[in-house]
Amino acid sequence: MAKYSEMQTLDFLRTAELLKQGAEALVYRSVFLGKPTVVKERFPKRYRHPVLDEKLTHRRTMQEVRSILRCRKAGISAPVVFFVDYTSHCIFLEEITDSSTLRDHITSAKLSGSSCPDVELEHLVNKIGHMLAKMHDEDVIHGDLTTSNMLLRRPPRDGETDPVLIDFGLSYISTLPEDKAVDLYVLEKAFLSTHPSTDALFETLLKSYTASSQKSEAVIKKLDEVRLRGRKRSMVG
Amino acid sequence: MHLSQTLELFPDLTVTQILFQEVRNAAELRQNAVEGKIKGALIKANMLVSPFQVLVAANKALHLQKLNQMKTRGLFSEIIFNLSPTNKISEAFNKFGISDGDNSVLVVLVHNKEESHLISEILTKVDGVQIPVDDLSSISDLEKIKKLYKVGPREEQCGTLLDAVVCRMATKDVM
Repeated sequence: MAKYSEMQTLDFLRTAELLKQGAEALVYRSVFLGKPTVVKERFPKRYRHPVLDEKLTHRRTMQEVRSILRCRKAGISAPVVFFVDYTSHCIFLEEITDSSTLRDHITSAKLSGSSCPDVELEHLVNKIGHMLAKMHDEDVIHGDLTTSNMLLRRPPRDGETDPVLIDFGLSYISTLPEDKAVDLYVLEKAFLSTHPSTDALFETLLKSYTASSQKSEAVIKKLDEVRLRGRKRSMVG
Repeated sequence: MHLSQTLELFPDLTVTQILFQEVRNAAELRQNAVEGKIKGALIKANMLVSPFQVLVAANKALHLQKLNQMKTRGLFSEIIFNLSPTNKISEAFNKFGISDGDNSVLVVLVHNKEESHLISEILTKVDGVQIPVDDLSSISDLEKIKKLYKVGPREEQCGTLLDAVVCRMATKDVM
């Protein structure tokens, strides 16, 4: 019985456009119930013991979906979940159309050469810092913060760009400042390695985070500790 | 005026929604549904935000039906159950299933393409005025819906009421 239903989703995916293939999941794009939809399929990992694979995949799917709803309830933009197929481990999500990644945005702003970009970018990272503070205050750890996982929707006429967080595949719930610090550290590493000469910009993001979160002090303190740990760092203490 | 749509995961089936106002025989309809004389879901139309919400419920119901994993006893009760933000079956029926005094009713049918006579059958059974399904939003009791789904002002910053409702419907089994 499970195989039959799995086939329906998998048949549907055959007609969808493959967007990305990660180590953990395949990401497709299609129309579902009349709406532009992204489907994330956590395919079976043959290198794992099948019972363990099923348990792990199921748990990851649940965590992803829980984190998204938790974020949305707190007012953090994340894609709407339309449907979850637990037999094929597929999550059907809203496709955020008419948008670009923060990564592309920063890259093209930097390329345009003038010093103006930083002012606009500053405003943007202030929003991001604020959003991440809200997320951590909800005890949601994203787990894979990068500028590619932040989308900027094209704003309405006079409106402002609204950042949307995507890819909650590695997310989980935690109250520990250490986990939140690591979340920020991952972003810092991704940010600075992808976008050269943006140290000041990231500092602005952190300042905004600190100002927006009630629990930020402990997190920033931990962040300093975590930074000392990293790769190629002296652990002499 | 009615809305018939095909679900991408169940291409052989059609989901038809028919909306009625000024319904005078809600009690009789409910009794008919209980006795199995009406093969459809009878929903309190003012508790719905959009036909999309119904589609999401129907999709999940059909998915679980194929897996033999429905929480309720039948497809139509499952559709009603899926609308609810909680996992309590009786509460779902209470809040979304029609009650005797209801004036606005949305009927949901699931059928093959050729069975469109089912639509005309419903039209004869309901003593009310049929209106376009797209007019559903004019009947929605937004305050009641927000209260039931517990949608706060924070969440309204990042999406529509429909977004909030659909997200809860899709994720309630793991929350």
